[in-house]
Amino acid sequence: MLRSVFLKSLRDQRRALMWWGIGLVTLAVMMMLFYPNVRDSGAAMEEYMKSFPKELMALFGGEFTEFTSPEGFLNSELFFLIVPLLFLIFTITAGSSAIAGEEEKGTLDLLLSNPLARWQVALEKFFAMVIATLALALSFWSGIAVGRVAVEMDIGLERVAAATLSAAILGMAFGALAFALGCISGNRGLSIGVTSAVGVMSYLLNALAPMVEFLSSLRRLSPFYYYIGADPLRNGLSLGHAGVLIALSAALLAVALVAFERRDLAV
Amino acid sequence: MSDSAILTEGLTKYYGDQRGVIELDIEVRPGEVFGYLGPNGAGKTTTIRLLLDLVRPTTGHATILGLECRRDSRQIRRRIGYLPGELSLYENLTGAELLAYLGHLRGGVDRKSIESLAGRLDSDLSRPIRTLSQGNKQKIGLIQAFMHKPDLLILDEPTNGLDPLIQREFYRLIAEVKAEGRAVFLSSHILPEVERGCDRVGIIREGRLVAVETVSALKAQALRQLEIHFATSVPLEAFAHLAGVHDVTVENGVLRCAVVGSVDSVIKAASQFEVVNVINHEPSIEEAFLTYYGQGEKHVA
Repeated sequence: MLRSVFLKSLRDQRRALMWWGIGLVTLAVMMMLFYPNVRDSGAAMEEYMKSFPKELMALFGGEFTEFTSPEGFLNSELFFLIVPLLFLIFTITAGSSAIAGEEEKGTLDLLLSNPLARWQVALEKFFAMVIATLALALSFWSGIAVGRVAVEMDIGLERVAAATLSAAILGMAFGALAFALGCISGNRGLSIGVTSAVGVMSYLLNALAPMVEFLSSLRRLSPFYYYIGADPLRNGLSLGHAGVLIALSAALLAVALVAFERRDLAV
Repeated sequence: MSDSAILTEGLTKYYGDQRGVIELDIEVRPGEVFGYLGPNGAGKTTTIRLLLDLVRPTTGHATILGLECRRDSRQIRRRIGYLPGELSLYENLTGAELLAYLGHLRGGVDRKSIESLAGRLDSDLSRPIRTLSQGNKQKIGLIQAFMHKPDLLILDEPTNGLDPLIQREFYRLIAEVKAEGRAVFLSSHILPEVERGCDRVGIIREGRLVAVETVSALKAQALRQLEIHFATSVPLEAFAHLAGVHDVTVENGVLRCAVVGSVDSVIKAASQFEVVNVINHEPSIEEAFLTYYGQGEKHVA
């Protein structure tokens, strides 16, 4: 695991990845075990939910206002808020510390005294983050798969995979933003702060746009829209929407590599 | 191999308005051990980080082993060994793991070379780096700089935290590198360190290279603070007029004076009295090179 920057970056994350994996599997299984209660309470549950102001419901569930079908349940309870939030926390942390973390710890000088181009070091670290994110997506998906058998939920695993992958791609886009800000500034705190703020604003924009007229035209500016706007759990992964997020990630990666190649590194 | 190990021309670095280094013209010849001496904050580390392409010059340029520092940095880094001044290692790895990692990044390094260096520097590679003392971390830093037998070693304050026995081994390593025709550029803020292993010494002050001298010329000019304790009181006149001896005072049988170059004349004069103790204060660089630094101080005052 110490043969390249890529492998060492994965090795450095192995403990965090293990705990994140355990956490995501647990979350998925627990939520699934909760499903029979919701399904069986049926109309009463729907009635209860309707008693909340619709703005408040939108904040936490967007347009997903139906909870008792498998898709409605998974979208409102997991995919609208919790899952992307967790992916973002992971990728923002990983992306900001990839270069800026090593620069702040002072180990970057030693690493770059080796015959490696700066862009190569950065690229390897970026791909380590992508692989780690996909590993987390896989563990979350497997948790749903286990729970699905336990509670006999009628939902296709390929659809769950589409929604999970969409969340991972969203996470990657924000990870790329955190990574780029770290590469540009060398400041981990700044990278985490700015990216988190952008994340919260993007979420709110997408969640509230259907309620608030002047936001609705701006909704397409939110990465969250491209994550869940086409409802991948019902319709499968929208290549167009996923493509927007991937293109955004690629553009941020390019900016990161160029900026990192050019600037002075801090001691 | 007739290219200079290091050649800088007008190398200048400003961080915004802040001075890094100004108009450096340094030449390190092939197979030479070059000491880079200056107080903390003078610009030694900035110079070294410019050479490694970690920061980019404002103006001027530098070549290493005939290669352009900016354009050919990767090729250069293949052929140099570098010890950072503020050494930070991967604390979660053991010494052996760290060296294996850095070895892989260099496309493989001879295990025997690592083991031999670890043995000579008395370095325990099996322990996690976070459990090591400053000195033991420094040893691992040295091993990674030497292990691939680079054509040029760039060492920023290499003896930081090393105990005297290990320092001696370090100077032996430097002598071997020199004997093999490889070059060394080492920085220090302490005069005796560069006196020990270097052929020539460049002195940097406030970002400017103020002198380049051979070590023997430096020794001849260095100012030493000497203190001799006598069993009885001694007459001032016995020391006041010796050549190259300044600021002589005698108080309660204790002679204090400043000597330029050799202290021989003072010791010979002292030998006619009963001497209890001789204290040779290690001068700071500012004290040691009043000739170079004195001029600068006038500007400041």
